[in-house]
Amino acid sequence: MDLTNPVVWVHEEALGPANPALQDHPKAPALFVFDQAWIEAQNISRKRLGFLYECALELPLTLRKGDVVQEVLAFAKRHGADGVVTSGPVDPRLNRYATRINRELPLWILDGDPFVELPRPPRLGRFSRYWREAEPLVWEGFRG
Amino acid sequence: MPRQDRRSVDQLAPVPAAPSPPDPGDLPRQLPSREALNSLLQQEFPGAPGELSPIRGGRKAAEMRLSKVDPARYARSRNHLDGLVTGLSPYIRHGVLSLAEVRDAVFRRIRHRDEGGKLINELGWRDFWQRMWLELGDAIAEDQEEYKTGHPASSYSNALPQDVRDGCTGLACMDGFREQLVTTGWLHNHARMWLAAYVVHWRRVHWRAGADWFLEHLLDGDPASNHLSWQWVASCFSHKPYFFNRDNLERYSNGRYCRSCSCADRCPLEGSYDALESQLFAVSQPVRAVPARSKGKSKRKR
Repeated sequence: MDLTNPVVWVHEEALGPANPALQDHPKAPALFVFDQAWIEAQNISRKRLGFLYECALELPLTLRKGDVVQEVLAFAKRHGADGVVTSGPVDPRLNRYATRINRELPLWILDGDPFVELPRPPRLGRFSRYWREAEPLVWEGFRG
Repeated sequence: MPRQDRRSVDQLAPVPAAPSPPDPGDLPRQLPSREALNSLLQQEFPGAPGELSPIRGGRKAAEMRLSKVDPARYARSRNHLDGLVTGLSPYIRHGVLSLAEVRDAVFRRIRHRDEGGKLINELGWRDFWQRMWLELGDAIAEDQEEYKTGHPASSYSNALPQDVRDGCTGLACMDGFREQLVTTGWLHNHARMWLAAYVVHWRRVHWRAGADWFLEHLLDGDPASNHLSWQWVASCFSHKPYFFNRDNLERYSNGRYCRSCSCADRCPLEGSYDALESQLFAVSQPVRAVPARSKGKSKRKR
């Protein structure tokens, strides 16, 4: 079922115009939340917060601080949204937030353009193994 | 949570503004200067230490950096602190630039594959670390393997020594790297490796203490790249520990630290690799039994 009136949740892995949620929903209200629990637990310095702030200011986002899940849900309510759209996070912390948001409201996750698309999950564990499979595919895109 | 496939986006259209009616709890978007941003952050996040970095966030700054990337010169000079490295990592880590965009920018800027090989390889490392994180999840914070240093994991201190944190070890190099880390939030990769090896092997500190310290400061602080690279130095995510000696550091830093170092005549980093190895590690087989890439360079450099 498509969302008719979503909000976009922008997290700290996708603060750029390639964010697929912003691209696909350019008119939807969008939010970035400074995650206070993470900032305090990790003793995150002002440098990092300032960098994130400057990245966020160049996007059409509302900025908040606090509990990410509560803030996203409150933002959705504020805009009468029927769901939330975001970009696929890697960080397990963000994935836990996504799961919690999805318990309250439908959450759509969009993936952006990959660096390399592998036909099957690579054998990880050591870079050399991964790169043996990935490198030729990455270079297929080069037209020298 | 449905995951949707998307069409690929060749041209990134500027995202139009979609302002939201203000709410009293919203953080301000109108800030007249960086000083105003600094004051705001001080007020909103009083526990967050330090000042702003001279490195600016945002797409404009990222595009400026991207426009200066020279893949061939990067390949030739990247191991030197003064080398032409890209400085793109904070922007890539936060998705200001996607890895796919940077890959395509490199492709557009080279005529032959050889010119871009090293830089593309480094982008591959970033992709690899992210895939490892998806696979391992929170386990990236745990030792992936045993130490190959001959020392039990329990012999590594869980706390970062105060002199390292404060930048008063007396070693001009390590104190210099600490200063750059704390004031700018960015360090050259070679400096990260030297500092990590010093903390883990010379000071016998558990990699996690150093890795957490880096994440407080690094603008590109990515738990996967950071934690797994520290583990790679420590030997918990590689076949052998990474270490270096003074010759190596002096060469790739053009001697800038050693010249003014008060410990220059009693440098703990000085010595042959064989001598340092027996001093630092307790292994019966030489850790360097695996052939090194070339004489005189770091014993391992990714």
